[in-house]
Amino acid sequence: MTGEPILSVRDLTVQFDSGDGWRSVVEDVSFTLNKGEVLGIVGESGSGKTVTSRALIRLLPDRVSRIAGGCVDFEGRDVIAMSESALEDIRGGKIGMIFQNPTTHLDPVMRIGQQIAAGLMLHLGLRSRAARARTIELLDEVGFRDPERQVDAFPHELSGGMRQRAMIAGALSCNPSILIADEPTTALDVTVQAQIIELLRTLGRQRGLSIIFISHDLGLVADFCQRMVVMERGRIVEAGAVDDVIARPQHPYTIRLLHSQPGLTAPGSYFDLDGETKSRNETRPAPQGDATYLAIDRLAVAFSRKRSLGEILTRKPVRDLAAVDGVSLNLTRGEALGLVGESGSGKSTLARSVVGLVTPKSGEIQLDGKSLGKPGERQRGPWHRQIQMIFQDPVSSLNPKMTVGETLAEPLSVHRLCPPADVKDRVLGLMTEVGLEHDLLNRKPHQLSGGQCQRVGIARALSVEPEFLIADEPTSALDVTIQAQIINLLMRLRESRGLTMLFISHDLTVVRHLCQRIAVMQHGRLVETGSAEEIFDNPRQDYTRKLLAAIPRVARAR
Amino acid sequence: MGRFKFVLYRPLQTIPVLIGVSIITFVLVRSIPGDPVRVLLGPRAKPSIIAAVREQYGLDEPLVVQYFYFIYNLLHGEMGRSIIYRVPVLDVIAERLVPTLFLLSYALLLTVALALALAIVAARNQRRLPDHLVRMFCTAGLGLPAFWLGIVLIMVFSVGLGWFPVSGYGDGFWGHLHHLFLPALTIAVALAPVLTRNLRATLIDQMEAGYVQTARARGMSERALFYRHVLPNSLVPTVNLLGVAFSWLIGGTVVVETVFSIPGMGQLMVSSIFSRDYLLVQGVTLVFALGIILTNFIVDVVNVALDPRIDP
Amino acid sequence: MSATAPGDSGRSGVIGLPASLLVGGAIIAMWVLLALFADLVAPYSPIAQDVPSALQPPSLDHLLGTDNYGRDILSRIIFGARIDLQIGLFGVLFPFLIGNIIGLVAGYFGGLIDTVLMRILEVTIAFPFFVLVIAIISILGPGLISLYIALALVGWVSYARLTRSQVLILKNSDFVGAARVLGYGNGRIMLRHLLPNVISTSVVFAMTDMVLVILLGASLSYLGLGAQPPAAEWGVMIAEGQQFLSTAWWVCLFPGLAIVLLALGLSMAADGLAHVLGTKE
Repeated sequence: MTGEPILSVRDLTVQFDSGDGWRSVVEDVSFTLNKGEVLGIVGESGSGKTVTSRALIRLLPDRVSRIAGGCVDFEGRDVIAMSESALEDIRGGKIGMIFQNPTTHLDPVMRIGQQIAAGLMLHLGLRSRAARARTIELLDEVGFRDPERQVDAFPHELSGGMRQRAMIAGALSCNPSILIADEPTTALDVTVQAQIIELLRTLGRQRGLSIIFISHDLGLVADFCQRMVVMERGRIVEAGAVDDVIARPQHPYTIRLLHSQPGLTAPGSYFDLDGETKSRNETRPAPQGDATYLAIDRLAVAFSRKRSLGEILTRKPVRDLAAVDGVSLNLTRGEALGLVGESGSGKSTLARSVVGLVTPKSGEIQLDGKSLGKPGERQRGPWHRQIQMIFQDPVSSLNPKMTVGETLAEPLSVHRLCPPADVKDRVLGLMTEVGLEHDLLNRKPHQLSGGQCQRVGIARALSVEPEFLIADEPTSALDVTIQAQIINLLMRLRESRGLTMLFISHDLTVVRHLCQRIAVMQHGRLVETGSAEEIFDNPRQDYTRKLLAAIPRVARAR
Repeated sequence: MGRFKFVLYRPLQTIPVLIGVSIITFVLVRSIPGDPVRVLLGPRAKPSIIAAVREQYGLDEPLVVQYFYFIYNLLHGEMGRSIIYRVPVLDVIAERLVPTLFLLSYALLLTVALALALAIVAARNQRRLPDHLVRMFCTAGLGLPAFWLGIVLIMVFSVGLGWFPVSGYGDGFWGHLHHLFLPALTIAVALAPVLTRNLRATLIDQMEAGYVQTARARGMSERALFYRHVLPNSLVPTVNLLGVAFSWLIGGTVVVETVFSIPGMGQLMVSSIFSRDYLLVQGVTLVFALGIILTNFIVDVVNVALDPRIDP
Repeated sequence: MSATAPGDSGRSGVIGLPASLLVGGAIIAMWVLLALFADLVAPYSPIAQDVPSALQPPSLDHLLGTDNYGRDILSRIIFGARIDLQIGLFGVLFPFLIGNIIGLVAGYFGGLIDTVLMRILEVTIAFPFFVLVIAIISILGPGLISLYIALALVGWVSYARLTRSQVLILKNSDFVGAARVLGYGNGRIMLRHLLPNVISTSVVFAMTDMVLVILLGASLSYLGLGAQPPAAEWGVMIAEGQQFLSTAWWVCLFPGLAIVLLALGLSMAADGLAHVLGTKE
């Protein structure tokens, strides 16, 4: 199905001004895109995949970056050497591009129709009336239900998925032969992601498009692309047909990337990373008895909005936002429960009300048979030693002004958990336990990597010797290889400390890897609860099935 | 347009602020040491007038009751009499309002023109010479005392070159325009640095926004990008900033009117302080506050018109 | 932090500090030293009148000329630094302390305290800052003490607003959440976790505010509401010189340049400080 090359990149090198000289961010990158194919570029943060995609149509910032070498051959001409005006014809006219975040990449004060029509008027010379008519056709093509009306909508009036569709309509408006898609689904929920991928697949086939698909998600690339290149630290380390690369990876980095995929390693076993423990099966501790440890009973949380004078006078109905709507959930001691849901499902709010960061409207939470009461009444109590939490954004969960040592010593001295003389030893012990080098003791968060920050967050939670750990999307801000390390760490800690755990994630495969039981939430309600096997092999609810269907093929392999 | 219904009820929301403003102006004058009537009417007041004023302001009643007398009088357009001008305070203010309004609008216009031009030049030439020059102007201009700048301008353009009059308000529209040019320029130069700096930062922020990248990827020229996307998106922060700047602008006129001897409210306020004409000070303060409240309301309306995301 | 980066002129290679901070700091230090050692540095007394040599243009005897009483302008400027620096210090110190405490408490606890604060704030900003300050001074009577009281009454509002808005954002951040989950008390969270993270913005703002306060003090003195003659204050000097504008330009010009130079030092230092505090943490 692939034809002759349409775009070929040779020895592309891009440099950025690092403050003391030019530093190469992309080095000697070469690949070709064939007519009608979907080419994936996979890499983690800092791999240079996005910079590469921008360099193809010279979208990089002036003065702080430069293309230091190489050429991009398109239709017999070198894009790199092209004049500014020739480039403007190609951008949008011959090569379309869509971006990661449709919310920030559409002009908020301009109607979407006008934004799409601007390209039509510029490249195809359409008059405004004709451009509007064509825009409506395009919106229809990308799946708008009422394009005649929605053509006049402002971006904020559309959902994230619809915004991305509008962006696709704009990119394809002038019938380009190539579409560059830079992480087009990363900012979207998994079910919406599946729809957008399906749309791209259909449009690509109908229009005979050649697509360059940039993503951090190996599974998604494997699903959608025919060929792929793997990038690491500015260089291409591996390239080839998707099936070949996945079945027979050659480069150590590709192997590590594959070994880090939750769906490709058997649930409950350690990820096989360099220097990490070899994989074992069934390492998880068995639940200790059936006694209920945490009982959440008909919990409801609502975020009430203050009514403005205008709303009172105009009698505008104001609905309280129900974040959690009557959820009952039990955890037995020693078990790991996975809580899955998309954005706005209320999963984080549920977790926050268990630790007292959010005040529930009604319902009760019992820990080990004792009611936790209202958050106001439990400012300080023994439960702080029992429940701890780790957070989604590892960097912002640490006080930027405090060193690692100070952060870890603080709970020990506040709760007088050990004599002052022993604090330092205990801190170093905690650091060892979570795999942090001791020479990081005096670093501040901005001097650490994301993964290191998350390890500090975990160590801080462990410092008070909790029985119960709530992890709120602890890996979703991290690269997949780092995610694998953190999950390995959490599994090891559960084993050594016998922790009970509530693990919250939007990613079913991650939850499946770590948890025996899974609860699915949607719109503040609990949709389905069951053992991991039941949920995966025999889902009872439509929504669960939808979530499962959105998991890329590779990740579902096992 | 349904979104503009708020214009009808939003004024009601300013009621708490208006009450607060009236309390502060009331308390201000009542905290002058000594018998208020003696102070407010001057030492030469006739006993009959003193008695009448005691009656009108309920000065023998408790302070809270006095406040309601104050509000009652205020709502009837009664702010007392000036001891110097011997006419109602409101009449004096009405006479001085026009020069001040003229100067304010003139200065606002020059400030916006100056700040907008400098910010656009700087943002479009980021990190190049014009940008460095504008940034130097911003840092240096922040510390320019308006009254001294006015004097220097008089020194150069009035005394030295004889292009503009040294002081006064002039006659007729063109006369005002000519007389008030240096005062307005003084205010503009003193105020522009802060505005320019903010506006430049806003523009540069917007230039790096995602939707600018989208439009660039669709082949739009840099010039079109700037005027079709960057500028419209910078308007809301700019209008907000102008709302804040209006308060400084008024402060500027008080000083500059004195420097250039312009018969406006600012000069009136300063001279009233020296002649202990407290009711006049109170009246001017109140009118300036009303001006700011009105400006904030206008800013609200303009913002709703400019940004479809705002749900009033 | 090492060599000068291309395209980044704001950075000096000396000790890794921005050039603006070094230059600004040097200017401030110069004024502080002049103020401290005015008696030693100034060639003449700032108040001694010498009518025969009145209104002399700059010469070797009087480097910046003399005023209408024959007082040496250079000496008056040097002594004037004492008053103007004092205005900058006290005019900012009290609002800074009051505003930050109120902003921190109101932002963290919310509720009634916060509602009351917001009402006071709305009403205060409904007045033009300058007008409210001189209205208060008109009641208290002209003078520097009245100025400090007026600034303390009105100026804290900006600090409270700035700190409150930052606290509102930070108190919902994950690291404060973690502190709560760990059972830390409110005092510890405010002082150990919030304050260190909000104070640097407030300090940078205070530096810029100091420029405005010094200008305000000079303007009020010019209007006759601040420092009173015969005090050697820069605004007073300019006011006294205005009547001789057509014959003796130097009387007005040099005190104004002194204000500009001090203000420039402060705003450069504020720029540099913002740069350092913004990037290093």
